[in-house]
Amino acid sequence: MNTEVVIKANNISKKYDDSYALDGIDIEVSKGQIMGLIGPNGAGKSTFLQSVLGLLKTEGNLEVLGLDPRKDRHKLLKEVCSITDVAVLPKWMTVAQLLRYMEGVHPSFDINKCISILSRTNIKLPSKIKVLSRGMVVQLHLSLVMAINAKVLILDEPTLGLDLVYRKDFYSQLIEDYYEGNKTILISTHQVEEIEGVLSDAVFMNQGRIVMKDSIESINKKYLELRPDQKYLDDAKSLKPLHQRTELGRSVLLFENVEKEKLEAFGEVRPPVIANLFMAIMETTKQGDLK
Amino acid sequence: MQWTNDQPIYQQVRDHVVSLIIDNVLKSGDPIPSVRTMAVEGGVNPLTVSKAYQELVDLNIVEKRRGLGMFITDGAKKELLKLEKSKFLHNEWPNTLKRAESLGIDLRELLSKK
Repeated sequence: MNTEVVIKANNISKKYDDSYALDGIDIEVSKGQIMGLIGPNGAGKSTFLQSVLGLLKTEGNLEVLGLDPRKDRHKLLKEVCSITDVAVLPKWMTVAQLLRYMEGVHPSFDINKCISILSRTNIKLPSKIKVLSRGMVVQLHLSLVMAINAKVLILDEPTLGLDLVYRKDFYSQLIEDYYEGNKTILISTHQVEEIEGVLSDAVFMNQGRIVMKDSIESINKKYLELRPDQKYLDDAKSLKPLHQRTELGRSVLLFENVEKEKLEAFGEVRPPVIANLFMAIMETTKQGDLK
Repeated sequence: MQWTNDQPIYQQVRDHVVSLIIDNVLKSGDPIPSVRTMAVEGGVNPLTVSKAYQELVDLNIVEKRRGLGMFITDGAKKELLKLEKSKFLHNEWPNTLKRAESLGIDLRELLSKK
């Protein structure tokens, strides 16, 4: 296993007036990881991603590929590529002009690759950007970014406003690139179910803090969901579930570090989907705060 | 490829390859889809695919040929049928039986219904 650390963040904080957007974040991302930042609005996902890109001044120690994004933003941008949810492209340019411009200003931009990605969309090279639909602008932006041969990809809600077909296409393209280029990817999204299979690691965030971080492999080992037969409900509860909810009238119990065989005696056992695990962890940490 | 929520994805990847062999889509000596193809088409992390494939290697269902990829072994289907049979007898059948009992279905009635 290669464990070269690509992003190292220690105690990163960002204060706006009285409230903390980031409140002491520690994250290490190693080469080859695809890490998902998961959390509700206002959790601090975008703020953190922007600080990694050097777009925001934050407190704490931050290193990306050995550089400080707050000081060496220019050097860093050769190796780091990003898509943010507020993508703006010059409306007066044509797509072809924009591609030539990118080729001129960015040393790692591969114009042929970009054209090949665009050929899978309805975007035509002679079109002016202002006539493209919102979804097409996002597609164009993604195509530009995917055509840059970067070591680190920062994706902040990359598929917002895209239809289902293109979203699938985008993730296929992402994995293909990842596979070939040995990249490191940091991604945030609300559509967790979509990226669940893509991730190697997940970070749960809430109110500027990290609630949990773990590899998907270890999450799959640690957590199990049980839908007990009604007659075994009390037996199942005696095994101390971490969290409990009802789904269309049926109890669903979440267990941490309880053997699968033990649970299977009481009903149907599955791994939790990340979105449900997230909700459960959030609720249990809230309860913890009250104590 | 559509994944479901009731099993970890690496198990579903593994079961997918197993079903290709059981249904005779792939035979002994055939290559299985590369990690890359499987990851890209399935929208899955390549590590997940590698993990699934490693399990198949451990079960002697597929073998690595250096520089060429993964291939289905000679005895793969026989081995799989044995495994699947035991899975049916130990996991699926007891559940089916329980279900039949809870519905009050008589076993003889069941067998007469082919």
